[in-house]
Amino acid sequence: MNAIFQKVYDFVDERIGLKTLEAKLMNEPIKGGSRWAYVFGSCLLFIFIMQAITGMLLMFYYIPSADHAYASTQFIIHEVDYGWFILSYHFWGSSAMVVMVFAHMSQVFLWGAYKKPREMIWLVGLVLFVIVMAFGFTGYLLPWDQRAYWATTVGVEIMDKTPIVGDFLARFLKGGPTPGQMTLSRFFVIHVMILPAALMGLAGLHLFFFRSAGPAGPFRGTTEELKAKTDFFFPRQVWKDIVAMAAVFMIICTLAFIEPVQLLEQATPDPGEYHPEPEWYFLFLFQMLRWKIFSGEFGQFLGAIAIPGLFLLLLAALPFIDRSPERNIFKRPIALLSWTVVMIGIVVLTVSAILNREFLD
Amino acid sequence: MAHPVENLSSIKLAWAVAWSAFWTGFPFKLIVALLLLAGQVHPWEGAGLVTLLVVSIPIDIWAVGLTARTVFLERLSMEIRGPVGVSLWWQGAVLGALVLGGAYYAVGTTVAVGQKVAAAIIALIKKFYPALPIAEQITLELLLWTIPTAIVLLVFVLLWLHLFGWRVKRVVVASGQTSSASFVERVRQWDYARVPADPTLVLVSFAGVIVTLTVVFWVLLPVTTPTPHPDYPLQQVQKASKPVKPEELINKTEATLKKAEAVLAALEKEKSRETTKGKSK
Amino acid sequence: MGSVQPKIKSKVRCVDGEVGEVAHVIADPLSLDVSHIVVRANGTERQVPVSAIGAVRDDAVQLTCNVAQFSGFPELEREDYVSSKEVEIPHLEDRIRVEPGEVLVPLPVLEKNCARRSFFAGFIKVIGALIGLPLVWPVLRFIMKPMYVPYDNHWIKIGNISKIKTDDVGVQYIFKKSFKDSVLEREEDKNHWLVKASPETLKKIYRHGDITFYDEKGAVVWVNNQTVPYVAFSGKCPHLGCGYKWRSHKTRGQVFLCPCHLSIYDATGMVLDGPAPRSLDVLPIKVAASGDIEIIDVEYKAGKKEQVRIA
Repeated sequence: MNAIFQKVYDFVDERIGLKTLEAKLMNEPIKGGSRWAYVFGSCLLFIFIMQAITGMLLMFYYIPSADHAYASTQFIIHEVDYGWFILSYHFWGSSAMVVMVFAHMSQVFLWGAYKKPREMIWLVGLVLFVIVMAFGFTGYLLPWDQRAYWATTVGVEIMDKTPIVGDFLARFLKGGPTPGQMTLSRFFVIHVMILPAALMGLAGLHLFFFRSAGPAGPFRGTTEELKAKTDFFFPRQVWKDIVAMAAVFMIICTLAFIEPVQLLEQATPDPGEYHPEPEWYFLFLFQMLRWKIFSGEFGQFLGAIAIPGLFLLLLAALPFIDRSPERNIFKRPIALLSWTVVMIGIVVLTVSAILNREFLD
Repeated sequence: MAHPVENLSSIKLAWAVAWSAFWTGFPFKLIVALLLLAGQVHPWEGAGLVTLLVVSIPIDIWAVGLTARTVFLERLSMEIRGPVGVSLWWQGAVLGALVLGGAYYAVGTTVAVGQKVAAAIIALIKKFYPALPIAEQITLELLLWTIPTAIVLLVFVLLWLHLFGWRVKRVVVASGQTSSASFVERVRQWDYARVPADPTLVLVSFAGVIVTLTVVFWVLLPVTTPTPHPDYPLQQVQKASKPVKPEELINKTEATLKKAEAVLAALEKEKSRETTKGKSK
Repeated sequence: MGSVQPKIKSKVRCVDGEVGEVAHVIADPLSLDVSHIVVRANGTERQVPVSAIGAVRDDAVQLTCNVAQFSGFPELEREDYVSSKEVEIPHLEDRIRVEPGEVLVPLPVLEKNCARRSFFAGFIKVIGALIGLPLVWPVLRFIMKPMYVPYDNHWIKIGNISKIKTDDVGVQYIFKKSFKDSVLEREEDKNHWLVKASPETLKKIYRHGDITFYDEKGAVVWVNNQTVPYVAFSGKCPHLGCGYKWRSHKTRGQVFLCPCHLSIYDATGMVLDGPAPRSLDVLPIKVAASGDIEIIDVEYKAGKKEQVRIA
């Protein structure tokens, strides 16, 4: 058996240089040694792969038609063996993806790993961040229940407020002036074809840039210390990555187990008793738009488009503004303070949105 | 001359030990928590919480010992004799209980007072600005009482770290021995401390545990949703219940048995014939 | 000394004479500078730190030590190094070019113990199983849900015998079949062929006796017998599932002919020619006094010698 495997391996190796390729992939020295702090990127890749697998499985039964989307999702939940679990895994996986994106970005930010020569990795990473959020937004509509319908309606109205292109963008997404079958078709195609293709391509580029520029390593320690602790990507970092992946996997399974997906009523243009709300990771933005300063046409533009847009632009410009080579976060007070303020802001606004529910009943 | 450990801040030292120890123990506790959940026991309350805490004790002792030795070896070039884990764990636990008690009281008071003060401030603002919108009010009120609470909490965390760091230093001073090994050698040493003496045994038992867990998972996982939608017309699987006729059943069984007996008898006959044949030969 | 670029094979000279030639260079993986050169002298390879290099010329490297000091340099432990081709260090090969030759990179101290590496490699596989294994069974069941549904044993009215004028001639009956298809309530046009059999034809069809139909558990659903002179043939060709027709053939006269692979059957359903492995499939049939025909839409697997019911 082993001999046959060896023969096949040698055959491939002779033609494409498998051994060298394998060595290149595995033997990447990690300055200062492998760390648990470096697992977030790999975990993101893992979550994405699992989302792709569960997503493909769901497409075995899902029907992207306004008449059947709700029924087929209910069919998956109630009739297909373990369908409820696959769907719930996919649902919680999307939340895990957003949490992990925040963790990954925070780690890179706090480690100062976006600085020269790794600016390109950071930029591609930001686009990936937007893609992950777009995944969440488009996937939310597909079950075609009240929650889905209303979150999408509000979300698209927000995009409509973008200057110049807003109207076009909203019509493009809705496939017309009002939500309907065309909206579902478009969201479906974006969710299952366009975004996965974009994410795969850009994640590949992200990794390629990462390998070309090399890992940043810890932000302190003498050369001797770093050298002494250095190890290769394989096996120690891979081991840490896979343990973290297993933990993520088990946590998502548990969440799916304790809190399975339950649909609301089928979507109708009457919200009835239901108070529309977006997915929890958009709640902070949603809550912010309830503030007085963001009322009126200009206020809306400010809160929904200008502030998030400028924030993203600021992130993109970060490696070019912050050019000091200092990477130690404890010597970058502005960076530490901004990160803390943003995180507290997001948490406080999310909690406010939850508290705000009391005032709606 | 002061002991080299005195040059380190106790908070930093305690943080280095406690933070890594927390994450070292985390995956094991996660598995325990998941097993409890799978058995429909909540690990955050009642018996589940007690179980989790009890199971955490040996895990934490091991984790604290491992990370403390690592920190001493790498940063202070010190080797420690004796059960570091146990000694640090109980001191940390006692300090933790004390600090937690204090924190429980202080944070509780801060929350209560903070919420009252926040409400008063909101009322005051509303007096001058009655049109204060609800969304702003919620966030403002939240900030007014969570900020002081967070500060109090942070103070207690720092207090615990400081006290724990002080105990860690005492342990180092009392039983630390300066290691003559180079930095590279010391890194190697703590790295090796993480490899089991018998890797194959560990791997095989791990694989066994995983296969068992997988089977448990398959058994526990419901095939259909545990939370069906109230309006969904669940198709009740109606098993065509065959009317059981006891007489028929008995007759059938008897017939089968008779058949089996006949077959057996035939087989025995053949066997005996074969043996006699063999003998005659 | 960071920019030393000694060439492979260039001569190495000590202050008191030539000792050998440059075999490899060793790079520092952090600074990406040459840290040592490996000098091959009398069959041994010694690693000489760059600090011992006085000057590098086109064809020779001048060391600052003498021959006696040179032989004090440690021998190269090849297994402690990997070639730059087997390790990914960005920009290393841009910085140090020693074609045709090898740049060696020291193996990190933590990677030198094989037992340690294999423990981790094993661990990775075991944890991988923790992720992969639990999904196998649920995913399999998920995919298999609609694959093995129970047979449909409903009687469907497909038309009236008044349509048939002549004996032993195939007549097509097209009918609508409605059914639940996942969440959809669908209706499809289907077709089967009926033959009003003459006594000889009927005898041929029932040459093996009555035709019995079973459900998936082996229980009898229906039995066709010779008292009914009407025979329904499934519209699915038993060769590979195409739709066949009643056609006139140049040499064989009126036959059932499948246009896909030219299987030919006579009015009794027996194969006259072509690749079909068995006769046409007979369906359960009931004919009411009014002449209404009802059938069960039984479906068999194509391409098999025996009938294997699938729906």
